Amino acid sequence: MNDAPGLTVDGIAVHDTAGNVVLPATSLRVDRGEIVAITGPSGCGKSTLLRAILDALPDGLTRAEGAVSWRSETVHSGRPARRWRRHTVGFLGQDPAGALNPAHPVHRLVAEGPGAPGPFAIRSALERLGLDADELWRRRPGQLSGGQAQRVAFARAMAGDPELLILDEPTSALDTGTLGLVVDLLAARRARCATIVVSHDRAFTGRVADRVLRLGGHDRSPGSPGSGSRGGTVSGDAVLSASRLVVGHPGRGPVLEGTSLDLCRGELAVVLGESGGGKTTLLRALAGLHPAASGELRLDGGHLPARLGERTRRQLRAVQLIAQNPADALNPAYRAGTSVARTARVARGLSRSAARAHASELLTAVGLPGADRHFPRELSGGQRQRVAIARALAAGPDVLLADEITSALDEEAVLGVLGLLDDLCGNGLAVLLVTHDRDVAARADRTLRLRGGRLDAGPGNTTDRSEDTVAAHDTIAP
Amino acid sequence: MSRFLAATGVLGAVVALAVLGGHVAPRDPSAVVGPPYSAPGETGLLGTDGLGRDVLSRVLAGGSDLVLVSLLAALAATTIGVAGGLLTGWSDGWTARSLISAADVLLAVPQLLIALVAAVAMPGPAAVVIATVCGGSPLTLRVVRDATRLTRGAGFVEAARCRGERGPVLLTREVLPSLTGLVTADAGMRFVMAIQLASALSLLGFGAQPPEADWALMIRENLPGSGLNAAGVLAPALVLAAVAGAAAATAAHAGRRTNTGRLA
Repeated sequence: MNDAPGLTVDGIAVHDTAGNVVLPATSLRVDRGEIVAITGPSGCGKSTLLRAILDALPDGLTRAEGAVSWRSETVHSGRPARRWRRHTVGFLGQDPAGALNPAHPVHRLVAEGPGAPGPFAIRSALERLGLDADELWRRRPGQLSGGQAQRVAFARAMAGDPELLILDEPTSALDTGTLGLVVDLLAARRARCATIVVSHDRAFTGRVADRVLRLGGHDRSPGSPGSGSRGGTVSGDAVLSASRLVVGHPGRGPVLEGTSLDLCRGELAVVLGESGGGKTTLLRALAGLHPAASGELRLDGGHLPARLGERTRRQLRAVQLIAQNPADALNPAYRAGTSVARTARVARGLSRSAARAHASELLTAVGLPGADRHFPRELSGGQRQRVAIARALAAGPDVLLADEITSALDEEAVLGVLGLLDDLCGNGLAVLLVTHDRDVAARADRTLRLRGGRLDAGPGNTTDRSEDTVAAHDTIAP
Repeated sequence: MSRFLAATGVLGAVVALAVLGGHVAPRDPSAVVGPPYSAPGETGLLGTDGLGRDVLSRVLAGGSDLVLVSLLAALAATTIGVAGGLLTGWSDGWTARSLISAADVLLAVPQLLIALVAAVAMPGPAAVVIATVCGGSPLTLRVVRDATRLTRGAGFVEAARCRGERGPVLLTREVLPSLTGLVTADAGMRFVMAIQLASALSLLGFGAQPPEADWALMIRENLPGSGLNAAGVLAPALVLAAVAGAAAATAAHAGRRTNTGRLA
């Protein structure tokens, strides 16, 4: 076969308009048949590196030096790079939901991919990722869950068999079963293409990658976040309870059918479940953003209205949600400090200066000291996610509903955030955490599984051992 | 970013020159200073017009009304359009739906027709403002409405709802600031539209009246003598183009500034 190298990146550096170095000169080489993983702390420039390789940097950043060549031929920026991207490169970005045109159905979205895949290739790509092609075929991005959107974007990147596959955090929204499918898929395609994967998930990169490159920072191996469960600080009284919640989406059947839940003060409870199974919907129903059709919510024993607009100021403050998608979590017009301080002012009535000081403390607590002055566009996905966590905490909630908040973070940041949640739980905060990460789930006081629209309470303080056997073909309630 | 600053700088300079130019004009713009249609350099830097008045002084003095009226018209059209867009994008009620229908009806009427009818019935500047508002704010409304609809479900708006912010505050503190780039870009396009309308009306004789100095009027007055002194036509035409071009360039960059740089 062809002995020419695949992708060669020779000392590319990225500067911003002020001339600051955003990414120092970086070189890498990926040959056909090889899978290279790139890891590093969030904000170290992993996504920027991918975009620099693709010659698709956001406004304000420029590739200052270096060259990218494909099969020994330099890919010049501008039109040649566009053509190369269109025909040769399958790319999966970090914000899959934002990269899918909301007006197009799934089959058309996948058909946009490099190499113009036909219907058969589209169907097989969707099915190999554990999606029901028939069910999703005509759905639009607004009707997909976070994990489904990520897999549709993944299918688009690879359906046409591109020779170079570039994946930015391809597994952040996937559960363990689906993760296995992705690993198999990458292994099966390995011989035909060169692959670059950016991921925080060490277990995943360890399984798929031939080589792991670490960008920025010094190499250190933090202990697994799963080491040791928390001590028993849980007190018995339920702070938030839901009984027989029924929540539906217009045009589809109910997603949750009679889900009940009791969340105790000081408890860290984890919700596991299939992607598309209604985990996000459950959190949004509890937060009042997606009012339940029927069922009863209680906060501290008192009635909690299903609709956000009917809740009192105290009830609003008490229940805070951190959403899954960090891309639009922050208002692009405000600095991070302003967003956080605004919540402290509105929800807790702090004065302007007190709110500012509190915002600084919270941003430091989530591992972003000095981020107050930064605009969201200057922050990476993982950093935005942490600002969103700080913002939710600024309200001083009694219940924190967290949707996949660790998926965009590197291990060190995950440890930091989990440590912070532990401290807060010690002070009586109740956390309901949706996650796919088993190591995170292992730290929980209680594991719940959302299946067929109902929550099965797992045994307290243990990880659900049956997780490996949960197949991706588990039926989901219509 | 630096190109954005450059475009903004050029726009600021051109607008400032247009508005304040009359004060720095070397001669009285309405005084006869030489023979008609003197070539550039003979009398004054840009020669004279058909009545022997200094072209340079008239170019410097001739932009202020045009630019100020266009700025006012663009401001009015943008304000009305943004307010309507935020309202119709946020609520689905009866008011919102009738507002959309009214905007669609306005869009269906040719803008030039509105401008001409208005110009016949009232003074030129009022006609420019009315025609820009009637023709421009429905476009702004449509764009802002769609953007508002997309923003309605954004994470930062939901976070604001969760901390207890209500409708009007959400619109002014969360939605509107996030659309700054879009609104600035749109206002720039309305300004270009207003400048075109104002100069078209002047060219047709509905705007400034002789002996006033006005760029569009100058083009019309000096066209017969363009063989003798081309600067009499070219100079006002070029400054008109410069103002519109700088506004369009600034608008385009403003629109890109808040772009998050997604790779589709």
